[in-house]
Amino acid sequence: MCILLGRNGAGKTTLFSLVTGLYHARAGSVLVFGHAMKSSPSTALAEMGVVFQQPTLDLDLTAGENLRYHAALHGLPKSLSKERSGEELSRLEVADRIDDPVRALSGGQRRRVEIARALMHRPRLLLLDEPTTGLDVPGRRALERHVRDLCRDGGIAVLWATHFLEEVAPTDNVVVLHEGSVRWGGRADRMAAAVGVADTAEAFASLTRSP
Amino acid sequence: MKMHHACRALTGILRREMRRTLRQRGRLFSAIVRPLVWLAIFAAGFRSVLGLSITPPYQTYVLYEVYVVPGLAAMMLLFHAMASSLAMVYDREMGSMRLLLTAPLPRWYLLAARLLASVIVGLPLVYLFLVIARYWDVRPPALGYVAVFPALLLSGLMLGAFGLLVSSVSTQMENFAGVMNFVIFPMFFASTALYPLWRLAEAGPVLATIAAWNPFSSAVELIRFALYLRFDAASALVVLICLLAFFLAAVVGYDPGRGLWSRRPGS
Amino acid sequence: MQVLMALLLAAFALAVPAAAETIYVSNEQDNTVAVVDGATMTLLATIDVGRRPRGLALSTDNKMLFVAEGDDNRIDVVDVTKRQLVGQLPSGADPEFFAVHPDGKRLFVANENDNLVSVVDIAAAKVIGTVDVGVEPEGMAASADGRYVACTSETTSMVHLIDAGTLELVDNLLVDTRPRATLFSPDGKQLWVSSEIRGTVTVFDTATHAQTGKIEFAVPGIRREGVQAVGMEMSRDGATAYVALGPANRVAEVDVKTLAVRRLYLVGQRPWHVALSADQRRLVSANGNSGDISFIDLENQEVVKSLPVGRGPWGVVIGP
Repeated sequence: MCILLGRNGAGKTTLFSLVTGLYHARAGSVLVFGHAMKSSPSTALAEMGVVFQQPTLDLDLTAGENLRYHAALHGLPKSLSKERSGEELSRLEVADRIDDPVRALSGGQRRRVEIARALMHRPRLLLLDEPTTGLDVPGRRALERHVRDLCRDGGIAVLWATHFLEEVAPTDNVVVLHEGSVRWGGRADRMAAAVGVADTAEAFASLTRSP
Repeated sequence: MKMHHACRALTGILRREMRRTLRQRGRLFSAIVRPLVWLAIFAAGFRSVLGLSITPPYQTYVLYEVYVVPGLAAMMLLFHAMASSLAMVYDREMGSMRLLLTAPLPRWYLLAARLLASVIVGLPLVYLFLVIARYWDVRPPALGYVAVFPALLLSGLMLGAFGLLVSSVSTQMENFAGVMNFVIFPMFFASTALYPLWRLAEAGPVLATIAAWNPFSSAVELIRFALYLRFDAASALVVLICLLAFFLAAVVGYDPGRGLWSRRPGS
Repeated sequence: MQVLMALLLAAFALAVPAAAETIYVSNEQDNTVAVVDGATMTLLATIDVGRRPRGLALSTDNKMLFVAEGDDNRIDVVDVTKRQLVGQLPSGADPEFFAVHPDGKRLFVANENDNLVSVVDIAAAKVIGTVDVGVEPEGMAASADGRYVACTSETTSMVHLIDAGTLELVDNLLVDTRPRATLFSPDGKQLWVSSEIRGTVTVFDTATHAQTGKIEFAVPGIRREGVQAVGMEMSRDGATAYVALGPANRVAEVDVKTLAVRRLYLVGQRPWHVALSADQRRLVSANGNSGDISFIDLENQEVVKSLPVGRGPWGVVIGP
């Protein structure tokens, strides 16, 4: 689990767009599991599950239909797609909403459906761009717990972008991004010491202070 | 790109388009009512009780109702293409376009699949309209309904590719209204959809020239000829070339490295 | 797609029955008779005839075509196999229309300027009798049993019933303004008369000479004066009649039993006369103003084609 920490406008979403190949970096290159996004995006994309900051579910379609659409885009056969949509939704504890239109789901449920969708094709890397946006505190906690479980039990690498320091656990790897460049990287509990301040919050504040 | 993967993706995209369309009752309703209103009102306004002079593919004098039906079928495709283009702009603003474009398939293929799915979903309504038009005594030969399928598909793809191009360049929904006013309506009115070329020539030679070169006219004539079991090779060629040109331009527009898509700031 | 289209076209071509028939059309302003192939619906030839050809009819053996030449005061005889003029028959002044008597030997000619019906012996090429009728005689018809001949007079607005044997006037019946064509039903029980100005068809009982019905025509969107009734044809089974509606550019299909107008066919401009094919599946109208003839597929109830044939098509007949 890696946390991409940065204030709004730090370049987190741009980084996500580059990593998912929505557009190319003007300089340099992006490699995912050794595949260059410029030359072989499909191979890299097949290994990635993405949850964008903006919700991307079809509100008129049911949760199950949304999942199966995604599975089809990833070339999963029908039977497998059906089986996995059940599995993934139960893993995220929203299996009972499978036949409900997404419009009827709460914000937290929608996010969980999106994560379930991103896991349909069993990626090795899960990208989450500020997944807790718009959720209340209990919702945020629950989502965080779900993802941490996934990381631990499913053996999936997670890149979690956020601007909430409270979503960072002491043992997480953290990359602090500010104004498009990396300010610091390492274990969260070592950030304060590295910067030379008392606690993590102060460290983050000092790292993201504009010169 | 593996074949079965591509097929599954296409089926998935098609199924999604179908579900979304079926759930938009209002849009479906207006899509079928619009041409019927035009048929009822325009045909009444256009005095043709004594018959329009013979223009191919018609072999005899026809009433205006008969003349305008292929044009209205093309209009349905045009409006469907624009609605679908609008949906694409909406999808992009809402983010679900990202989902499509991050599927592990070549981007041109994803765009083509989306285009094809959107056109196929629009065709049943055109057929419904053609069937209802029989009550206005617009009765092409039975085989014409079969022959018109490839013509409708090709025309629909051409107009859809145009819509795709529009969606790739219009950054916001607001731009879309401008496109409707300054591109779509002139494209429709300055064509052979509503009036035969000789009638447009009477109104003004400039208008007739525009109509003759308007690719929408080619789509209309391709449909018109096919419905009466004739193949209009010139129109088919124009439609095909425009389809390829619009589609390639749209692919460039959606290209991650080039095009306007890459210049757009991330939100 | 081209291959698909070609296949469809081939299938379509097979689906259309090829009727082996020939259509003859008099072109009033071209002084020709157009010969049209019924199967391909194409113009085969135009035969030069006398001046102002209007009424035309085939001999009972279908070998000769008679053409009334209004400005030459004669009837031309055309050999249909050679497609050329082979002779002339005398008639009174300005023959417009005539009927071939079922005996095959005589023509009954309406002489528009003489107020006469002249009877022509075909073999002898002689006028063998005349009957005085009203002013401007126009339409002519003979009953199937050969007993009666009917003639309309445009200005007098009458139909004159003539005994074909004695050449005596049997009765004069008043009809609507400017009667044009007349016909006997195949069973001989009804006499139909079309009136151009009023746009009606009057139906008489031939036994009692009483009017039994009148047909009015209306075309949506066209003023009543624009709907006129001219040439007529009745199907051999006597169930259906077809009436050319002149400037309304329509041919009406009429149910003979109920006298209701079943449907209207849009044809070329100003159809004068119509002709039924021998198999009763097709009707052809001669359209005076647009210079073409329209083919109506009666089975599918649609006009399939309009073919240019010359200037001022007026009369039309269909032969083998």
